[in-house]
Amino acid sequence: MSDIIACLENVSYQYPRSIEPVLSEINLSIQKGEFFGLIGPTGAGKTTFCCALNGIVPQFYGGRFFGKIEIAGLDTLEHPISVLAKHVGQVFEDPETQLIATSVENEIAFALENLKVPREEIIRRIPRVLEMVRLEGTEKKHPAELSGGQKQRLAIAAALAAQPDLLILDEPTSQLDPVGADEVFSTVSELNKELGMTILMCSHASEEMAEYATRIGLLSNGSLLSVGTPEEIYADIPLLINNNLRVPQVASTFYSIKQKNIPVSIPVRLEEGKKVLTELITKKTQLTTPDLKDELVHKEGQPLIQIKDLEHTYPDGTKALHGVSLDIHTGEYLLVIGQNGAGKSTLVKHFLNLLKPTSGTVVINGIDSKKLTVSALAANIGYIAQNPDNQIFNMTVWDEVSFALKNLKFSKQEIETRTEESLKSMGLYEYKDRHPLSLPKGDRARVVIAAILAMEPDTIIFDEPTTGQDFRGAHYILDISRKLHEMGKTVVVITHHLYLMPDYAERVIVMGKGTILLDAPIRQAYFDTEKLNSTYLTPPQAVLLSIKLSELTGEAYCLLTPAELASVFTTNGGAA
Amino acid sequence: MSATPRGEEREVKNIGGASIDGAPVAYIVVLAAVVTALAFIPFSVVMASGGSFPMNQGIFGLIGWVLGPIAGAVSSGIGALIGVFVAPHTAGVWFVTVIGAIVTSFAAGVMGTKNEKRKSWWIGVVVVTVIAFAIYVGRALLVNGIRLQWAILATFVNWSSLLLFILPTRNLVAKWIGSKNLVLVAVGLALGTWISFGIAHTVQNAFTYTMFNWPEEIWVMLSSVIPIEFISRCAIGAVIGTGVIVGLRAIGLVKPTEAIY
Repeated sequence: MSDIIACLENVSYQYPRSIEPVLSEINLSIQKGEFFGLIGPTGAGKTTFCCALNGIVPQFYGGRFFGKIEIAGLDTLEHPISVLAKHVGQVFEDPETQLIATSVENEIAFALENLKVPREEIIRRIPRVLEMVRLEGTEKKHPAELSGGQKQRLAIAAALAAQPDLLILDEPTSQLDPVGADEVFSTVSELNKELGMTILMCSHASEEMAEYATRIGLLSNGSLLSVGTPEEIYADIPLLINNNLRVPQVASTFYSIKQKNIPVSIPVRLEEGKKVLTELITKKTQLTTPDLKDELVHKEGQPLIQIKDLEHTYPDGTKALHGVSLDIHTGEYLLVIGQNGAGKSTLVKHFLNLLKPTSGTVVINGIDSKKLTVSALAANIGYIAQNPDNQIFNMTVWDEVSFALKNLKFSKQEIETRTEESLKSMGLYEYKDRHPLSLPKGDRARVVIAAILAMEPDTIIFDEPTTGQDFRGAHYILDISRKLHEMGKTVVVITHHLYLMPDYAERVIVMGKGTILLDAPIRQAYFDTEKLNSTYLTPPQAVLLSIKLSELTGEAYCLLTPAELASVFTTNGGAA
Repeated sequence: MSATPRGEEREVKNIGGASIDGAPVAYIVVLAAVVTALAFIPFSVVMASGGSFPMNQGIFGLIGWVLGPIAGAVSSGIGALIGVFVAPHTAGVWFVTVIGAIVTSFAAGVMGTKNEKRKSWWIGVVVVTVIAFAIYVGRALLVNGIRLQWAILATFVNWSSLLLFILPTRNLVAKWIGSKNLVLVAVGLALGTWISFGIAHTVQNAFTYTMFNWPEEIWVMLSSVIPIEFISRCAIGAVIGTGVIVGLRAIGLVKPTEAIY
């Protein structure tokens, strides 16, 4: 028993005023030194599960609790949260919501001061935990000066300072760009491997979870459906699909190949995938030339949005854009990618006059944006900002979605029709009377999108629309964007999730350090790994496997998705 | 739950968490901060003591209903005390301001208590208010020779509050505040603010009238000004309170033991 850090026996939990349990009959033991990954669709109960391990559920939330949880031998219902906090550290999804101090060192000291750790000991621990998360030298900095990845690592450092037996990370990378996410995963992995710290991480990042976790649990509708190694869980594609979970692209690729009766194992990590691919080619598996659709049709005529030599410098002197020139035509589906701070959001905010050019011009529909008001632009260009909570302020979902329509003086009938249609299109109609902030983050994002769609703008800008969404939620939103595109609307999407976009985007703008590094069709852009790497982006696994396939065969395979990659392999002449 | 869970149902309690009378200290601190912040906003140009009254007077009752009589009084008292120092332009007589905050939240918290041991606490509030009313009006009539008609008119808010507090309206207001119907919640908050602040106003005036002894001309003016001020307090209580209660219900954070929303 001494090797078990967390033990859950028949745990069920029901929030106050809730009819159904959010956790149901959970039995699980987490061993010391494990890296336990918890996966599940939005609303599966992952956050509740995490909060149950440090007593916040049910001690803070109330409700009905069944069964027993022991953390380091302590019953979570019989010990105060303050005592459990010494054993369990927790890092939440959004680093902004958990950093409260005015300097990095004060941030780390805060929890320790509350735990009555002597001053000398606090001073001793601060440099140690900063070194663990590779933030040495930032002691005096204000947390706001750190990048997204650094902020999340600071939150981890603050949790580590209390020297917990178990570190819980709830979606710690969903707000971060690929390089920030990689920083967090590698830091956590180091803590696990080198210090033997027990990790429990919830994440939708299936590729990274397959890479780093030692064991995975699949939570669905509050029940722990399956527990196993990453190989066991991520290779069980039907299980993942049935639970709306994203399959690592490498596993998805080889699963599709196997469906063609080509005998092949299903690897879940990229390097293993490359090895299996090499074996397939060595065994002279027959390949065909893929039937690739698409390629960008160059639009003629006057651009809808014309940007010339745009420069933007923020009041603090930060130069965010350097001589950006870009034409966007009506009906395009444009993907804007780049590292955090590359200037993506700064660029699109100029489309709405939310930011004014320091120099250069932004012409919208032939009119200089300086001559247009924000409200005039907003009637035609819908902007769905990165953080939905910044756009939510009404008491009910219905009021939130209908708010702009009322202000634009639509008739009562029109407001009701549009609001209802918009809510139904986003799958939110059943929540119309709920307080928007009582919904999960993924649903809150959909509320904001519904509010924009209700205005029926001609151009819609989605700024990181899939952040915090599970696989189904992300595709739900992107399917909406595709429908809008098919209706002739212009769609601009900013995202770090490159793997989601091949089925949607046509043209890609790669940004880095305030400039446009590349403006190309998606197939060309995804295979320009040099440009992507220069702005800290990693191509999807399917692209990396395609590059490997090209190396192995000497032929060029520009394949973007697991389905495209699998389509190259044929049953005839399959490997024995 | 649709099926009975296999695990044994456990008693859920907040162990060792810092709380006062069942209200987490975090709630008390946050609401005290709100009281202080609202102390900056003047809401009237006239008041018996010669200053303006702060907007926070509209939410003292709300704090009582959210935190209960003791934690509510602590929160409002701390918030009002800090407000006296940081926003002296709305402070009036400092200790009277703080007493008003404490009494309002306490009276509000007592109104709807479901705690059997506290079912008779309202009688104590009535006794204190009657004594305060006797000091205030008795001094006006017997010492300063204010005519009865002006004493009755200028103390309309005081005796009406006391009556409504003694009558079953005390429980009706609490029932409305706990209702799912938001219109009833708003009406309950408005009427409850009238009652609870009216109680406190009586206690406050026992002090301020003894200090200032304003002449009959002022009583005449107050007879119309005070009800208007009270209506604005009730509006503040209803508007802010409805939003707060809707939010608290939606977010589903743990309810303080004595909360009635």
